[in-house]
Amino acid sequence: MPSDLDARLLAAHAAGDRPALIALYLEASEASEPGIACRFYLTHAYIYALEAGSDEAPALRAALVAMGAETPE
Amino acid sequence: MPKDQRRNILDAVSAPIELARGLPNAHYTDPDTIAEESEAVLSRAWAALAVAADVPEPGDCKPLEFLGQPVLMLRDKDDTVRVFQNICRHRGMILVDAPRKIEGAIRCPYHSWCYARDGRLVSTPHVGGPGQNSHPDLDRATLGLIEIRSHIWRDVVFVNLSGDAPPFQETHADILNRWKEMEQPLHHGGSDSQFMLQVDTNWKLAVENYCESYHLPWVHPGLNSYSRLEDHYHIENPGNYSGQGTHVYRQLTGDDGQVFPDFEGLGDFWDEGAEYIALYPNVLLGVQRDHAFAIVLEPVAHNRTREHVHLYYAQPDIDPVLRRKNAAQWKEVFAEDVFVVEGMQKGRAAPGFDGGRFSPAMDGPTHLFHAWVAEKVAALRAEKDAL
Repeated sequence: MPSDLDARLLAAHAAGDRPALIALYLEASEASEPGIACRFYLTHAYIYALEAGSDEAPALRAALVAMGAETPE
Repeated sequence: MPKDQRRNILDAVSAPIELARGLPNAHYTDPDTIAEESEAVLSRAWAALAVAADVPEPGDCKPLEFLGQPVLMLRDKDDTVRVFQNICRHRGMILVDAPRKIEGAIRCPYHSWCYARDGRLVSTPHVGGPGQNSHPDLDRATLGLIEIRSHIWRDVVFVNLSGDAPPFQETHADILNRWKEMEQPLHHGGSDSQFMLQVDTNWKLAVENYCESYHLPWVHPGLNSYSRLEDHYHIENPGNYSGQGTHVYRQLTGDDGQVFPDFEGLGDFWDEGAEYIALYPNVLLGVQRDHAFAIVLEPVAHNRTREHVHLYYAQPDIDPVLRRKNAAQWKEVFAEDVFVVEGMQKGRAAPGFDGGRFSPAMDGPTHLFHAWVAEKVAALRAEKDAL
C-alpha cells in the first residue's frame, strides 16, 4: 500500500469518517494485486459501506462474491 | 428459613385484606429474595422496558439494561420496534453503547460482524481467514441477534424475558377491554413531555403508592382542593392490575381558556372521569379525556428506581405552552410522592416491621399487588421445590 494511502486511512479511522474509509479501502484494494490483500481491503470497504447504508454496498458485495470471498445472497 | 415458614409468610400476604400482612422486609432489602422475586414477577411476566417513542425514527436504537441484562431496542426501516440482547453472537461483545441511528447495519466494534436492523447476521469479515468472509461451519442464518419477546401497547414496550408468558393480549385482556375506548393513536408530547425521577426506593413501593387514593389528601393537598377522597373509587382486577379512578377530572386550561383536544368518540363517563392503574408488574398508566401518561418503573437496584414519565396527547401538534404547563403540573404531583416511597424503603430496615396491616376500606388496590407478588413467588418456589 502506498505510504500516503496508509496515512490517509489512519486519519480517516481517527476521524471516524466512513465515506472516506469506504473510498480509501476501495483504493487500497484496487492498488493491490489480485489475491488476499485485494480481497482483504475490499472486504473493509464493503463493511463500512454496509454499516453506512451506502448505495455502494451491493456492488462491493457482488465484487467480493465474484472473487469467491463472500457467499452469494 | 425452612420452606414451610416461607410459605406461611406468603400465605399471610395473600390472605383476605382484613387479615393480610404486606410483603416482608426481605422483598425490599434482601438481594437473594429480590432475585427470586424478580424472576417470578419481572422475568416471567410482561415487564415494561421503555416506550417506543424513545426510538422515534426508522434506524433509531437505544441500548438499555433490564435486570442486569444488556438489551437493545431498535426500530427497523419498516417501523417495527424490536428488542434484542445487545451482544454480538461471536464473542459476546456489547454492540451498541449509546443511543444512535443505525444507517445501514449494526457493526460489532470488535471484529466487525454486521447485523441488519431486523437482527439478521449479514456479514462476517475474514471469518474464513484474511479476505474470506464465510466459512462452511458458520451458518449465518442461525446466528442473528437474539430477539427478546416484546409487545407494544399504549406506546409502552413490554418484554417477556422468560419467553413463555401467555400472549400479552391474553394476559391483559381485561384492561384492553376496560379501556377499549382509549384504544386510539397516542402522540408523545416530545422532549418537554418526558422526565425521569430517580428515587431511592424499591420499584414495588412506587406501584403500591400509586395504586391507592388513600394518601391523596395528605401527600397531594393541591389535588385534594378539587378532587376529594370521596370522589375516587378503587379499580381492582386481581392478578393483572389495580388502581384508582376519579369522577371529577378537571381539564387543564391555558391563559386564554384553551384546552387540549379530546380523544375521539369517548363516552360521557370520560367527561369528568379519569383512571390511574398499575399494570403489573411495573408500569403506571393514567388516562383522561385529553391526555394520557405512562410511567415505566426501571428497577435499578433493590433500593433504587428510575421513574420514566411520558405524556401523550390525542393530536400531534399541541399548544407547547399548555403542554409544558401540564408536564410541570404532573412532575410536581409525582415529585410529592418521592419522600413517601423513599421513607417506606428506609422503614423496611426496621426489623419490627412485619409487612404492615392494610386498611380494608382503603388499601384494596395495594393489597392486590402484594397478593399478586406473593402468589407469583409462591408458585415459582413450588415449581422449583418439585424439581
